[in-house]
Amino acid sequence: MSDDQIPLKDATQNSASVKNAVFTSIIRNSFGLGLFAVFTVGLISITWILTQEKIQTQVRAYEARALMEILPQKTHDNVLVDSKTTLEPSRLLSSQTTTEAYVALNNGEVSAVILPVIAPDGYNGRIDLLVGIKRDGSLAGVRAVTHKETPGLGDKINTNVSDWILSFAGKSLNQPTAEGWSVKKDGGDFDQFTGATITPRAVVAAVHRALTYFETHQKHLLNPRNIQQHSISEEPSHDQ
Amino acid sequence: MALINSRTSNKPPASISQRARETSPHTLGQNSTQRVMALVIMATVPALVAQTIFFGWGTLINVIWCSLIAMGCEALVMTLRKRPVSFYLKDYSALVTGLLLGLALPPFAPFWISLVAVSFAMIIAKHLYGGLGQNPFNPAMVGYVLVLISFPQEMTSWLPPLGVEGYNNSLSDALFTIFPFGQGIEVDAISTATVLDVMRENKSLTMDELWAANPVFDGFAGRGWMWVNLAYLAGGVFLIWRKVFTWHAPVGMLAAIAVMAFLFWGGTGSDSHGSPVFHLLSGATMLGAFFIITDPVSGATSNRGRLIFGAGVGIMVYVIRAWGGYPDGVAFATLLMNMAAPTIDYYTQPRTYGHNKANKGLPGKD
Amino acid sequence: MTNNTDTAAATSTTALLAKIAKDGLWKNNPALVQLLGLCPLLGVSSSVVNALGLGIATMLVVMGSNIAVSLIRHQVTDAIRLPVFVMIIASFTTCIELLMQAYTYELYRILGIFIPLIVTNCIILGRADAFASRNSVLPAAFDGFMMGSGFAVILLLLGAMRELIGQGTLFSGMDLLLGPIAADWTITVFPNYKQFLFAILPPGAFVFMGFLIAIKNIIDRRMEERNKQRQPTEPKESRRVRVTGNI
Repeated sequence: MSDDQIPLKDATQNSASVKNAVFTSIIRNSFGLGLFAVFTVGLISITWILTQEKIQTQVRAYEARALMEILPQKTHDNVLVDSKTTLEPSRLLSSQTTTEAYVALNNGEVSAVILPVIAPDGYNGRIDLLVGIKRDGSLAGVRAVTHKETPGLGDKINTNVSDWILSFAGKSLNQPTAEGWSVKKDGGDFDQFTGATITPRAVVAAVHRALTYFETHQKHLLNPRNIQQHSISEEPSHDQ
Repeated sequence: MALINSRTSNKPPASISQRARETSPHTLGQNSTQRVMALVIMATVPALVAQTIFFGWGTLINVIWCSLIAMGCEALVMTLRKRPVSFYLKDYSALVTGLLLGLALPPFAPFWISLVAVSFAMIIAKHLYGGLGQNPFNPAMVGYVLVLISFPQEMTSWLPPLGVEGYNNSLSDALFTIFPFGQGIEVDAISTATVLDVMRENKSLTMDELWAANPVFDGFAGRGWMWVNLAYLAGGVFLIWRKVFTWHAPVGMLAAIAVMAFLFWGGTGSDSHGSPVFHLLSGATMLGAFFIITDPVSGATSNRGRLIFGAGVGIMVYVIRAWGGYPDGVAFATLLMNMAAPTIDYYTQPRTYGHNKANKGLPGKD
Repeated sequence: MTNNTDTAAATSTTALLAKIAKDGLWKNNPALVQLLGLCPLLGVSSSVVNALGLGIATMLVVMGSNIAVSLIRHQVTDAIRLPVFVMIIASFTTCIELLMQAYTYELYRILGIFIPLIVTNCIILGRADAFASRNSVLPAAFDGFMMGSGFAVILLLLGAMRELIGQGTLFSGMDLLLGPIAADWTITVFPNYKQFLFAILPPGAFVFMGFLIAIKNIIDRRMEERNKQRQPTEPKESRRVRVTGNI
């Protein structure tokens, strides 16, 4: 039907009922929509409750796997993921906010730490690294966590592309000497990759700074009392 | 690369009576595709000689190898499309694509890189879009970008130029490095960063120190690079003189690079991006300005459009060089502006004779 | 408006199901013909495992949302139809995301943003609105399954092509999705292969996608020609009209 055929008088008389109908429709639809919202939220909540525990363990296992690559389980007797110590922002780590280092314990004594380090001068921006340093100041290992380096060139810092980053293990602040802490092209001891100098240069410099940081902050890092336990449950976790 | 209007080039020769029925403009006689392409090939000779002198025999070998592949691909596609093969080979347009790619690739790039680049340029970028005159993107640059992003290691391995330790001008070394059937050289061991690369990476040295410390710097720009660029410039001026293309696109590009480099120069300190002259005479600036962006098929068509097109390329070349992820950006900039060419054409339509205003802008407005 | 379709569907269920299967997998394939969901299709298809992971996830969401939409199709008024569909799709996607986080965490990290982005995949809302809201549960579920499969198959094909040409392998890293039993499924087709990065990077996806569409068009044309040859004297009225994009 078309409105213009209804006489004006009728239209005004009907306006109240039209208004009513609109209201009922709005209320009905809102309720409907609300009901569906409740249903869908319920569905998500149920899934969340059912999966939450599993997700927690997965996240921790993933984090732990990266740490374990640097410090295998036999080097420590605590749960690495749960033992962290807070670090103040530092120029040496290129960190602008507080960060957290993982601490490995062996018989109550700190045996190694894993520092989060940023190499700000990669070819395409910052490279996030994890640098594992043993109690004696030698490197346990270095891993690149996230980066945007060019595929095929700078991404050789990934362990699945190249073994390059494994070559840090065993090195320390004096081994090689300060001059040696650069890529071969700059007269240092570290290989660059073919076709890329910037990325390895940035990583080598960042690792060197991390070692310097370790030396100046040894007291704090090696004190077991600075560790905050971040256990998600009261009981010791079984999955480690 | 097509350096001529598609109208005259894309079909076999028509009789005069047929031609009379076509719409203007007619480019009869002299300006055939074949003649234009032959002029372009001639114009690249100085640069080819300069590049061979400064970077070794590899360039010449690459040029020959790439040209052969290009002709082979053209013949293959024409056979598949059941077109007359020799007619299309004789217009030299395939040869020019191969030639330009050969000049753009690093001198000791292995043979399979040229193979991938040229065949992709010819088959995918040119013929899958309909052949000469139909390709929206510059085929040579499509091929170049393909291998650049696929094989960054090989594509950034430039050899030391003449006058720098490690310079290699042995014909057999070049031949056997490109085609590994004999004792070649380890390119990794002697390759050096180009000046644009060093400039981009430089964070600590002032310009004077950079020139003193790194032998690849010389004069206004890079050792060898300056002469190669000047040779392209000479070839380009020759082509403008012979009316193969107009001055608009090259001037637009060079002016834009100069202006950008001047604005963001940053002096002679360690955070300098290099002087305008440095940018004009480094990398593929002149090759791009006179031999790449002057392609009438993938570029803009009106003179004003060409000026804008060239300026766009120039601005983007500089942006990529100064802040992008690759040391040089001529290829990327050209492809990006190819995409914008139809829009540029749309807004720069010349006024039709007899009409007061050009048909441009959004339709429906007076 | 839906009653007629319902009764029609009940009378010739098998014919309908066959048509749904043909539509989803070939004639109206969401990836090759409708060109829907291109963003995840091109973004994630760099290897077989990524493609399979996202393919399965998308298929589950289409099926789930189709079933749910079909169940409630008589209760929802036209005014709130779309918001309700979007809510349903979003909740299914969130559930799938949580499940993937719980059971295939590493794959979840690789696929990253593309899992929540399933919500925006036009195939899903399109099927919910165009099919599920007008059909009973069984055809709707089957349609979701077939459309999802059509999408997943193309994802897989693209993934296989790109992995093969990009890295020279097939099925690498399948353990991320299927657990430790798939750890040694990797087939190295070309040993000592030099990475062809173009195939792994997004531009390669466009080119390979173009080839897949071209191949489908060639096959379609061949089949059409063959059909024409087989029935050359068929009267004009009953000649098949080619319809694209319609149910």
